[in-house]
Amino acid sequence: MFEFSKISQRAAAWFAIVLALFVVLFPFVWVFLESIKPPALGARPDVWIFTPTWANWGDVLFRSNVPMNILNSFVVAAATVAISLLVGCPAAYAFSRFRGYQGARYSILAAEMMPPAILILPFFIVLYRLQMIDSLIGVIAAHLSFVVPVVTWFLIGFFDEVPRDLENQAMIDGYTRFQAFYKVILPVVRPGIAAAAVFGFVLSWNDLFYALLLTGNESRTLPVAIAGYWTFRGVDMGKMAVAILIAIIPVLILSFFIQKHLVKGIGGGAVKY
Amino acid sequence: MPLKHKLVLPLVAVLSAVMLYPLAFSAWISLHDYRLTRLDDVQWRGLENYGFMLTEPAFQNAMKNTLAFVFGAVSLELTIGLALAILVRKMLRFQNFVRSILLAPMFITPIAVGLMFRFLLNSQMGVITYYLGKIGITIDWFGTELALFSIILIDVWQWTPFMLLMFLAGLEALPKAPFEAARVDGAGGWLTFRHVTLPMLRPVIVVALIIRALDAFKVFEYVFAITRGGPGDATETIMYFIYKTGFRFFRMGEAAAAAFLLVVVTMILVIALVWATKSNEELR
Repeated sequence: MFEFSKISQRAAAWFAIVLALFVVLFPFVWVFLESIKPPALGARPDVWIFTPTWANWGDVLFRSNVPMNILNSFVVAAATVAISLLVGCPAAYAFSRFRGYQGARYSILAAEMMPPAILILPFFIVLYRLQMIDSLIGVIAAHLSFVVPVVTWFLIGFFDEVPRDLENQAMIDGYTRFQAFYKVILPVVRPGIAAAAVFGFVLSWNDLFYALLLTGNESRTLPVAIAGYWTFRGVDMGKMAVAILIAIIPVLILSFFIQKHLVKGIGGGAVKY
Repeated sequence: MPLKHKLVLPLVAVLSAVMLYPLAFSAWISLHDYRLTRLDDVQWRGLENYGFMLTEPAFQNAMKNTLAFVFGAVSLELTIGLALAILVRKMLRFQNFVRSILLAPMFITPIAVGLMFRFLLNSQMGVITYYLGKIGITIDWFGTELALFSIILIDVWQWTPFMLLMFLAGLEALPKAPFEAARVDGAGGWLTFRHVTLPMLRPVIVVALIIRALDAFKVFEYVFAITRGGPGDATETIMYFIYKTGFRFFRMGEAAAAAFLLVVVTMILVIALVWATKSNEELR
């Protein structure tokens, strides 16, 4: 199992890995158990054996606002990613291929680092004055401020990896530069675009800070809705557990597809190992 | 207009609208007595908001908490992440399976993580607190003394996977020859790690540290989900302080000034980090 010579070392390594797996998995298992516990046993830390019930799931999925929150989160994340790709792809290609954009690369990186605390105030004030607090458009605009830089940064790295010969050949064959980009290079980086899209989607889907301040009853996204389950008035653990699982399961499934590409994306062509 | 500019134009347009304009507006706000409750009476204050923040005990406390949080969380994540990466690399089977599971926490929404741990560590219904109590350990996770530390542990749970991800990729890309040489010379595991792995991995470590530290400065969700800055002001981080100043007390000018001061502190830290790792190199 492990590449260690001594048995004691192998045992220690085993123990460490199993412990890490346990620490990572236990919270998920416990939250799932909580979601199928009968309400009478809810929030009892010592109960492991019980007759499971799907009452909480039914309540949350069919008799609450959560389906609307899911839809809001989905619309915001999808629109944010679509716009980010639309403006990010051509720009990332230009940054990767043309001279004179060295500085631009680093401004993208700097934009990625911008703390939301600075941007939230103007976003809130402008949307408030336009009477657009509690509209999805406002949240999408705010999410663009962090998804566009990340997606562009990812894409620069992926474009850097494509050999220039490819579009040179295409241009010899009679394509214009733009056609070469659009018809030859874009299809080649499709896996990279997919990874950037998924990562951007996850970032938007997971955001609490902007959504908390810019949404209201109509436009509330899932993270804000989850936060609303535990207030000073008390908590319904079972239902909150369901809402948490609904928010994290799609993202966990998506994440398995992009793990491979993630490091390259984060490095964005600036980090060479 | 040449193609190279046309391709960039849409990005410039979008970023001007959602980043440059808000940034300029925010800077303008920070120079005024800008209150949401008095929007028709905005007074010029120059740098007064900045001066006020620097001497404001609540701001200093929030900055102190945030720095303690960043140093605590990031150093723990670095150590555990590096150890796990080396262990996972040494696995002969199940490597992909173990990696996929260990990376999971970094993808889920931090507010869910915060609420999960608020539940697990709760003093009445928390399963972790309950079983620790059974073996005679009583811990008040979110009491005055431990609350910030507990928030750090939650951050470690969620973000050690990021370090693991970076280091696994870094280790994978290392050349094999130096390790063979070390083995031939009879260097043991620890010596090899100290004098071969660590120096070669340093560029990756620096990048991972910077990304993680910048992100840790923005910690908000765990505080919002669990303590709301309390007990007292023990876990009030800078983001929560800005949120409170701007959106609970409606003092936007002061909040904006605090946000720009946060950027200054972050920049200083990043430059110090880069500089520290550079000068280390010259010593060799």
